[in-house]
Amino acid sequence: MASNGELRDALPDALTGLLARVVRPGRYVGGEFNQRRKPEARPRIVLSYPDVYEIGIANPGLQIIYSGLNDGTSAVAERAYCPWPDMAAQMRAARQVLWTLETYAPVRDADLWGFTLQHELTYTNVLEMLDLAGVPLHAAERGPTDPIVLGGGPCSANPLPMARFFDAFFIGEAEDRLAEIVAALGAPARAQRLDRLAEVPGMWIPHTAGSSARRQVYMGFSESRPVTEPLVPLLEAVHDRAVIEIMRGCTAACRFCQAGSWYRPLRERPVETLVESALAALRSTGCDEVSLLSLSSCDYSGIERLVSGIRAAAPTARVSLPSLRVDSAAVVLSRLGDSQRGGVTLAPEAGSQALRDTINKQVTEAAFDDAVTAVARAGFSSLKLYYMIGLPEETDADVTAIITMVAAALRQVRETARGRLRVGVSVSSFVPKPQTAFEREPFVGEAVISRRQRMLRESLPREVKLSLHDVRASTVEATLATGDETLGETIEAAWRQGARFDSWTEGFDLRLWQAAAAGTGVELGGAPSHATDRLPWRIIDGRVEPAYLEDERRRSLKGEITPDCRHGTCPACGVCRDDIVMDLAGQR
Amino acid sequence: MSWWLVWFSRRGPARYVSHLDTARALQRTVRRAGVVPALTQGMRPRARISVVLPLPVGVAAREELMVMEVDDESTALTPLQMLPALRAAGAGGLRVEALRGVAERPRPVAREATYRCRMAAAASERMAAAVAEIEASAEVLVERHSPKGSKTLDLKQYLIDLHCSPVDGGVEVEFVLRLTADGTMRPTEVVGVLAQRAGVETVVDDLERLQVRFEGLPDDSQEYRQDI
Repeated sequence: MASNGELRDALPDALTGLLARVVRPGRYVGGEFNQRRKPEARPRIVLSYPDVYEIGIANPGLQIIYSGLNDGTSAVAERAYCPWPDMAAQMRAARQVLWTLETYAPVRDADLWGFTLQHELTYTNVLEMLDLAGVPLHAAERGPTDPIVLGGGPCSANPLPMARFFDAFFIGEAEDRLAEIVAALGAPARAQRLDRLAEVPGMWIPHTAGSSARRQVYMGFSESRPVTEPLVPLLEAVHDRAVIEIMRGCTAACRFCQAGSWYRPLRERPVETLVESALAALRSTGCDEVSLLSLSSCDYSGIERLVSGIRAAAPTARVSLPSLRVDSAAVVLSRLGDSQRGGVTLAPEAGSQALRDTINKQVTEAAFDDAVTAVARAGFSSLKLYYMIGLPEETDADVTAIITMVAAALRQVRETARGRLRVGVSVSSFVPKPQTAFEREPFVGEAVISRRQRMLRESLPREVKLSLHDVRASTVEATLATGDETLGETIEAAWRQGARFDSWTEGFDLRLWQAAAAGTGVELGGAPSHATDRLPWRIIDGRVEPAYLEDERRRSLKGEITPDCRHGTCPACGVCRDDIVMDLAGQR
Repeated sequence: MSWWLVWFSRRGPARYVSHLDTARALQRTVRRAGVVPALTQGMRPRARISVVLPLPVGVAAREELMVMEVDDESTALTPLQMLPALRAAGAGGLRVEALRGVAERPRPVAREATYRCRMAAAASERMAAAVAEIEASAEVLVERHSPKGSKTLDLKQYLIDLHCSPVDGGVEVEFVLRLTADGTMRPTEVVGVLAQRAGVETVVDDLERLQVRFEGLPDDSQEYRQDI
């Protein structure tokens, strides 16, 4: 048995004292499977997802950068997540600065601190983390020993609201720029490192007049392997399975979808690579389920060969798809076999055909019926239907159509389900996002959303579990998504008032945002003044042509469908040119 | 199929996760090692792996016991290869210490657990007096509060042994608790009583389960130990 000496913790005493006083102390100690430790390596980079550990550890983007830096460069990447308020209070009382989960060393001693910004309601957590780390909030106030604070992720489609807090933003996919970023950090002084970082393609430096940047596309995606040795937490995270990214981008062209625009063009990995990677990921994670990740996994060209290949090589492992496209779900589910466990999500997004045409969601009622029947027969235990309300051109009749559609689905489930199948309906509020066809659309407002939520609450069948997004949080999200650099003051004011964890029901407090908005002259949820002018985020070239987005908006008003470009009709969005092209490697 | 007793230790980051998280991490360790657990029957098969005695969050442990059934046909490891493979597959301070193959499904029952804790800045004379006071008492009543309500337990019903000794910067307390079908005292409750009686702050620097005494362990077995 281990000697007593071996049983002593490697954790510093200062931290163990804090851990005894907080809920879920496992959030703050690391120790994950597949953790990389390179304590002597330089430069030292810290990666952060600005939310609580259980959410952040499941983010695939951070896993890609973490393994890419540690396994593919001379740098060391460590991690920190946003401490929950109980720990933040303990840290402030003990004057303990934020530490990394690999070496328990201060985050502020890093050369570079990278944040992935996945959605706007994590913005105040960035400020919280900077403050807890002892790093000045404003880029302009940082000195030679402070880390360079770098932003990335889909929110960099409009980085302006957070510009004052970041030294730089990387726009797009960073996989094949990591070596250049690491090389830039080799410069002897911080100012020189920042200058050299500014030369890396895709880097936007907010504090340089006239700076602009073009979204970077990783065209080595199809030839690369997915992460097969991801971090696996000791404590339960939001997703408890191995994940392999099979495809990046989406050709469905839904007009509200930022990811659909931001990750173009579509790139697939070959089936053989993915089968091998799935097996490697199952081995390295110890999971018994592998999830095939992409924006729309049913659309992957080789989905049937992939699923059957994994099933043949790992018969006891479960294969899951994170979201099913309604029009192909029936076929794919039949390939997944019987006795599926867990839940499945279908996203018709809108209740009426007319509104689905407006948003370019190419789902017919017949395809939806087929998909529901396939789910019921496959043996899943729950079916979640995902809708949005507050969409452009939406009327109350479209909301009534959701109710009718759900009721019909419920009848169908009762008739065909093999066992007990719970039906849930999740309804979010449409928030216009930059770099989409609806980027100039207004947020419809709290009053309209609340009324339509009430319609759903009162009229959906009782046995359906309904979950509605907090419209007040959506109001803040809409304000932040389409704001400009002046919003930084509002974000900071909200954080100073106490705003944290704004995407959490227990964390969000509208009064803090109202006070911050009033103090900085901002109308929450109001139409931005630039809605009809040049959009401030045009400094970021997302590669999708603004003229295409405008045209898509016009087509939406007429209910015109834009076909899936995978099938040959190019809508001329502007992304595919030179060496940037669609790669359907799954067909090979 | 074969049944195995697996002893493991828990320290470092792993001591800060719950019993369920520990059990899940051990299942991962087993699968990562290339050991294929047998599965239960039914619609939702689960690995036949169970940790015998739950470990509270924050408590380190030296020799805990897990029982698992292995699918021998699917496991390409000999018994001698299993131990190093399991050790290499662990993470975060979870470490498999020893294995024992047994002929039939073991049904161990935990009877006693020995704990040790270090209490920082605790005055050793006051702590020694608190220990003596508890030993001399006929009963030591402890209130336990939970969302379901409150109940009163007598520490003396469960306390088999208790002593303390001074160490650098504090006091080390060691105690043995009786584990019954109706439950037991939590180690943190014992420490709380001591701290209260000694008039010191109750924050524990280091709480560790040193040993658990089990009944029902078969002895017709082959034990595999290998120090790495």
